[in-house]
Amino acid sequence: MGAVKQAIPADIGGEADVVMTEHGPTKQSASGQQVLPIVEGVVLVAALLAPLLLQDYLTVFATRVIILALFALSFDLVWGYAGIMSFGQALFFGSAGYGVALLARDLDVTNIFLVLPAGTIIGLTFALLLGGFLLLGRHPSSVIFVSLGTLTGSYAADRLARGWYYLGGQNGIPSIAPMTLGGYEFSEGPSFYYLVLGILVVVYLLCRFLVRSQFGLALAGLRENEQRIAFFGYKAQHLKAIIFAIGGAVAGLAGSLYAFHEGFVWPNMVGVVISTQVVLYVLFGGSGTLIGAVIGAVIVEGVSFWLSDNYRDIWPIILGLLLLLVILFRPLGLISFVLGERERVGSFGAKPRETKEKRNAAP
Amino acid sequence: MANAFVAAFEILSFGAIIVLIVLGLGIIASMMGIFNFAQGEFVLLGAYITYLAHAKGLPIWTGMVAAPFVVGALGFVLEALIIRRFYAAPIVAMLGTYALGLIIRESVRGLIGGFYLTVPEPIGGSIDIGAMHISAWRFTIIVITLLVMVGCYLLLSRTSFGLRMRATLENPSLARASGISTPLMYGATFAFGSALAGLAGALIVPVFSLYADLGLRFLIQGFVAVMVGGVGSFIGPVAGAGVIGTLSAALPWVMAPVVADVLVFVLAIVFIKFRPQGLIAGKGV
Repeated sequence: MGAVKQAIPADIGGEADVVMTEHGPTKQSASGQQVLPIVEGVVLVAALLAPLLLQDYLTVFATRVIILALFALSFDLVWGYAGIMSFGQALFFGSAGYGVALLARDLDVTNIFLVLPAGTIIGLTFALLLGGFLLLGRHPSSVIFVSLGTLTGSYAADRLARGWYYLGGQNGIPSIAPMTLGGYEFSEGPSFYYLVLGILVVVYLLCRFLVRSQFGLALAGLRENEQRIAFFGYKAQHLKAIIFAIGGAVAGLAGSLYAFHEGFVWPNMVGVVISTQVVLYVLFGGSGTLIGAVIGAVIVEGVSFWLSDNYRDIWPIILGLLLLLVILFRPLGLISFVLGERERVGSFGAKPRETKEKRNAAP
Repeated sequence: MANAFVAAFEILSFGAIIVLIVLGLGIIASMMGIFNFAQGEFVLLGAYITYLAHAKGLPIWTGMVAAPFVVGALGFVLEALIIRRFYAAPIVAMLGTYALGLIIRESVRGLIGGFYLTVPEPIGGSIDIGAMHISAWRFTIIVITLLVMVGCYLLLSRTSFGLRMRATLENPSLARASGISTPLMYGATFAFGSALAGLAGALIVPVFSLYADLGLRFLIQGFVAVMVGGVGSFIGPVAGAGVIGTLSAALPWVMAPVVADVLVFVLAIVFIKFRPQGLIAGKGV
């Protein structure tokens, strides 16, 4: 225990040598066996079969979970892969939701090929503006500043949405018209479910390609040691701003789906509550693996749904305790029970290094 | 004239409340490098203890005296059990303290339900100055805030405890080599910061009434104030709190409250972006 003290950083605003990535995993997939594709396959099959096995009202719930998983993916890209703590991811989620809700309310635009790109672009724009402001500049911003800046942005947006009459104030915008494709209306149920699942799979595959590309390699370097990446000549701040904007776009897509699925938007959707919720998903599931974010969203929402009937009052307390336990003892999330460190980091064509991992591990 | 005076008093008393809340946050952030997301919940606990004392029929001031000690003790225990694992990683510390805060907040919510519970002011009535009336309790809060500020400053700058605390902050290894028990100092600092939050909660509960999200409301304002003031000194966060508190209370008098609310945050973030070291940079107390 005493050894931990030595690691107190002299400059608290400085580089966070993130402990999350430095606790050794219990299992090393020494045989080089690939666990990740198996996990992904199982999740995909389960997701495909779900509406056949679930009752109707559960399918509606499952759709919501898939949308939140998409949202979790956006946060995982930003935090798990680039090490940017965005405590305000809901800002992009919610502003896209409000944006498409206004499109549907004031302009009667509900065509899926218009509203989903619109939501994505709204998310992207807000993320570019906020991310550009927070991350770019002559001096690199400290991790603390970025995380508190995003948190503040989300909180301010929440307050604005609550007080602005045009956005419906406290009540938000109710009864949004359903999303349409030609004459077909997407209402809650299997069709909406498979639509959302399809989008999730496409986005997932795109993200998977992205994080295993050369760009992903640079991001991994950024997360592990930003200074070193900067010394190699990468523009670290630009990389961060780019991934932040991509995360914002994915969050915007999820937010517009969420708005149409629920049929209403309300101020919490841009606020701190949802922002921290998405952090929970990813920490539970395992940050730094895309599937971890999806699994985290499914588990947290699923257990919460299951428990909230009987233990509504104590469920948030249990959630807090579990979160604390995960942070303390399983910093890589539940996925680390089956996934070794080597596979989590992945190979980008070079041999993975292992010496660094033990450096700061708590005794 | 009377209106201006009332406005000035409102602004001053809200500023004092923010300063009171930020003191503990600032001390923990400056001395330990931890942005304590559970600080808002320590405020909530202080408020809850005061309410409990009132509900049990005890005089309210007993709750107010007990609150800082109980919350401080809790802070000491939490530091020893959990917080000290987070020192190396500020982001993980945020998440961990957030989880702690969640547990405390939801426990209190379970205990009080979703209600707004009122606690009467221990010093009721108003002070009349000519035709103007100002709330006696709000005035007391201003006075106590000033006393606590001066007390903290003296503690940090004039006592050997403060010296050891600052030594631990500036150079932990050298402090250890000089025979200072750094783990104890961190525990004491965290307990002290928590106790201040507990005191703040106890004092503000008659003004804001008790509800589970009481602390959350001040947490983000507190963080922004600490960042604006500058981390690393005692004076910085206090100055930041003064600025943020005054702005939040003053701007709604001149523009729409919604715009004012958001504007304060936007201004603060822009300010921090271009002056990351804050209002008051550098070491010192």
